[in-house]
Amino acid sequence: MSDLDTFRQTTRAWLLENCPESQRQPIVKAEQIWGGRNRTFPSADAKAWFEAMAAKGWTAPTWPREYGGGGLSAEEAKILQQEMARLQCRPALYEIGIWMFGPALLGFGTEAQKQEHIPKIIRGEIRWAQGYSEPSAGSDLASLKTKAEDCGDHFLVNGTKIWTTNAHLADWIFCLVRTNPAAPKQQGISFLLIDMASEGVSISPIELISGESEFCQTFFDNVKVPKRNLVGELNKGWDVAKELLKHERTMMSSMESMTEKEDVSLDVLARTHLPLNSEGQIANAELRSRIAALSMEMEAFQQLNERLYYQHKARQVDPRLGMLLKHIGTKQLQRKDELLLEILGNRALSWETHRASSTEQRITRNWAFNKSHTIAGGTSEIQLNIIAKRALGMAS
Amino acid sequence: MIFNEEQTMLQDTLRAFLTDNATVSDLRALRANPEGAAYNQTLWQQLIELGIPGIALSESEGGLGFGYMGLAAVMHEMGRNLVASPIVSSVALASSVIQLAGSDSQKAYWLPLLASGEVTATIAVQEGRQFALRSLATRFDKGELSGHKTLVMDALESDITVVIAVTADGRFMAAIIPSAELTASSDRYQLMDGRTFSDIELRGLYVPEESIIGADGSCHDAIAKALDIGTLAISAEMIGGAESLLERTVAHLNNREQFDVKLATFQALQHRCAELYCHLELARSAVLSAFTKLDRGQDIARAASQCKALANDCYVQMSNEAVQMHGGMGITDELDIGLYLKRSRVCNQLLGDSSYHRARYAEAASL
Repeated sequence: MSDLDTFRQTTRAWLLENCPESQRQPIVKAEQIWGGRNRTFPSADAKAWFEAMAAKGWTAPTWPREYGGGGLSAEEAKILQQEMARLQCRPALYEIGIWMFGPALLGFGTEAQKQEHIPKIIRGEIRWAQGYSEPSAGSDLASLKTKAEDCGDHFLVNGTKIWTTNAHLADWIFCLVRTNPAAPKQQGISFLLIDMASEGVSISPIELISGESEFCQTFFDNVKVPKRNLVGELNKGWDVAKELLKHERTMMSSMESMTEKEDVSLDVLARTHLPLNSEGQIANAELRSRIAALSMEMEAFQQLNERLYYQHKARQVDPRLGMLLKHIGTKQLQRKDELLLEILGNRALSWETHRASSTEQRITRNWAFNKSHTIAGGTSEIQLNIIAKRALGMAS
Repeated sequence: MIFNEEQTMLQDTLRAFLTDNATVSDLRALRANPEGAAYNQTLWQQLIELGIPGIALSESEGGLGFGYMGLAAVMHEMGRNLVASPIVSSVALASSVIQLAGSDSQKAYWLPLLASGEVTATIAVQEGRQFALRSLATRFDKGELSGHKTLVMDALESDITVVIAVTADGRFMAAIIPSAELTASSDRYQLMDGRTFSDIELRGLYVPEESIIGADGSCHDAIAKALDIGTLAISAEMIGGAESLLERTVAHLNNREQFDVKLATFQALQHRCAELYCHLELARSAVLSAFTKLDRGQDIARAASQCKALANDCYVQMSNEAVQMHGGMGITDELDIGLYLKRSRVCNQLLGDSSYHRARYAEAASL
């Protein structure tokens, strides 16, 4: 038996022993475990499952063991993922620190910064937020104005960040700030870590079309930030940001598989909500055809990801393919949302709880919220610019 | 999911070979002579020397053992240059029917001959206006074949024709007929893509025992699978064609100047090309995944329909956009773009259009 087969067996056994039955159900948003100083658990089972995974470092399977990560190879991490999917184990931890910030800090941080922050991310002790966009710096991110002035032992930060996801729940925020107003825009930006408990930080939630307020505007009014919280070199923050953005886009392209599944999966929902004909098929042939068309494209997207995985394994990565993921994944997700809405018909129009089932509510709210996916993390238009110029080599 | 070292080498070798020996202008020569051969015999002999007829067959069957992924690589390169060849008809379809459904003696006799290229086969499967496996009407009854077949490739050039028919119970069977016996009842024509095809009229054609495959209907599934292998081969060819079109279009936009700038600098054109590239890579991923399933011995019915529907739509859209983005020159016969446009439509009709395959996929996905 190969080492990987052995790993699969021991992993499966460990998961069966450590993942309680209640944690092997499709996850719902309210029961997701996020990191944080004040984190809570919806149940004792959820707590036990989270702690078992965190102790093994499997909340961050591929991160180095020396910081508390799982230390797994890409192949082993894939097996862990497959076995968790097979047993329907819920993700143990949802955290921006895991998906985006951690990988960038491992690449650009000092040893002291890694020692300070990485273990806490893995153990879910700190919840991170991202401070990139500003009211006047969206797609043109590099025009950001929040400034950090050098005051000897600290930076003095003034300005505002917008679309800071869950900033009202976050403990720390990683920010892009202007440290050299005289330099060309990309070259005067630094990457700074700010404790949200610092004096002068205030937060105002933004109500979205989904009725939720995950996004906030965060204000910095003469906030003192110690110099040791600078990641990478002064005025070289754009490099860190670009690296981090790659992780963000990869994450967003896989939103479909990360969010709650089962009861909002397209084929299941279609078959349970639509009239069937005498042959047991969806009776509305036109709608059936469109569901089939999207299903086969979504399957092709999984196959594209699988192809990339094999390319990585063989060290023959076609760098162009990664550039496609965010645009394709988010566009498909929105097409799926539209079809789900159509399937629910007027049942999808309810906004108040007593009129609609929890599934119906979730589908409607997701449909509205997921409009953000083609905007956040680089709009689809920016993605298409990147594909045209870098993947296809079109003149600019 | 990806080509291994040998398959990559095969693809590189073939690309270099076709660049030297089979460019799109060779297709123009075939088109100019509709009474002539359906494909270039010299080129086919060279491909035989490269071992292409036995590409997917195992070494024990007289083949090269490159696996079906090897066939995918070959078809992709053929599609890039619009090469007319009997690979789809003989290698992917007819050989697969014999290999998967034939008796031991049929396999022992035919496969080495097909693998070595001594014998070239074709398949007579399509009927009617649009292909649909379920509505095949050519009957095999009391040892005789009756029906009307259309879009038969290389009918005159082939040595044998594998005719697909249905038994009285509605199950698929196949018959290996010497092509010469069908000449008198066939009608040959050139299609818009410059290739020649034939219709064949079968009026109670007697089939000797040793030429029958699955008279009792027992080979139904094996024949369906062989047809799916052909469907995948055409899909791979279409991906190659679409890829070539995108390269040609981007090169044109990077070269052509209007309003004192390169056309490629216009965002409206950049985004359209980027979307086309997304579609291309999605369809390609589906095709690579399906050929991988085939090599692993897994079921491919659903995958074949997924691939053909995606490849059809990708190639049609790519060719329409390529014509448009080439501007006035795009509608001239001088440019090769129009040849790709026409090939895409012919490929579309071979073994099923998108509407057919979406319905078949929906069936397989229990929708």
